[in-house]
Amino acid sequence: MSLFEIIGGLFIVLGSIFLFLGGLGIFRMPDVYNRLQAGTKATTLGAMSVIFGVGIIQLENDWTWLLKAMIILIFIAFSNPISSHALARAMCKGKAYPFIKSKDKDINAYKEFIDNQKMEEE
Amino acid sequence: MKKVIVLLLLAVTGYYLVISFMDLGKYGPVVETGVKDFYLEKTVSELHVANTITSIIVSFRGFDTLGEVTVLFLAATALGGILYKRRHDVGGRSVLFPSSSIVKSGSKLLFPAIILLGAYVFIHGHLSPGGGFQGGAIIATGFLLMLLAYDNFSVSHNVLSFIESFAGIFFVLFGLAGMMMGGTFLENFMPVGKLNDLFSGGIIPIIYILVGLKVAAELTGLIYTVLHEKEN
Repeated sequence: MSLFEIIGGLFIVLGSIFLFLGGLGIFRMPDVYNRLQAGTKATTLGAMSVIFGVGIIQLENDWTWLLKAMIILIFIAFSNPISSHALARAMCKGKAYPFIKSKDKDINAYKEFIDNQKMEEE
Repeated sequence: MKKVIVLLLLAVTGYYLVISFMDLGKYGPVVETGVKDFYLEKTVSELHVANTITSIIVSFRGFDTLGEVTVLFLAATALGGILYKRRHDVGGRSVLFPSSSIVKSGSKLLFPAIILLGAYVFIHGHLSPGGGFQGGAIIATGFLLMLLAYDNFSVSHNVLSFIESFAGIFFVLFGLAGMMMGGTFLENFMPVGKLNDLFSGGIIPIIYILVGLKVAAELTGLIYTVLHEKEN
């Protein structure tokens, strides 16, 4: 087992942990904004480190793998945040209310959200 | 009474289906000694193509692919014919709210990368997984991204129809050229080169590039037509 394989394997394990947490977040979170945040931040880092790890492992055979992996990394770094930004914005414009526990209905954040929406309508 | 007739019809149909499936005979041995070995052997030894599926789609069953492309073309034409009337006086697309500047500049950055990926997929169709249909669909998603981000992004229908007819005509011309040189439609008449080279496989990469261009143009036209339909 070479050094490259150990380092790349560590990256892949780290990425899989983040991907698992992202999936768990999508499953467990209560509303669309929380799910988007779990499904974007965790999975972006997870996918990036898995792909980077694959590039590192192949480094001793063929260095062009790392180059290709870097290109994919740049693509993910752009596409993943932009797509979830568009989703979240559409949700906000479509008046999807954030999840609030019923006993906390009077807290300020919720009121602020509704007031902002009313102001934008006028 | 109606239900009884329907039930009787269903029973008769089911009876004939069962009878006709009985006649098919055993399935297993035919597959084991069928054309599989022929394809696997000829792909490497005669055509020098790494991807067996590509060689089947483009070379052994190239005439089928021409038919599939024609089906896609007919579907696009029919959709355009239905939706065209409502579209010609509408300038932009009707949207609830314009997309944010992040989406706009981001999709401007990603658009060339998506086009490049699509071109890569159909140029390397004879070496790696993927091919003309897949690459064309990827290119069409790039145009879909731009159409979603910019509500006034427009695609020239003249260019699209030129690319489409260019690709279709050259597909048929290559097939006829094979007929003239070798004897059968889509005969591989060009030098096949070395296995695993980019320039290998004779006319297979050329045909796949043409298919990719055709599918990309057709799907882009479809997406554009559907997005600009205005209901009133």
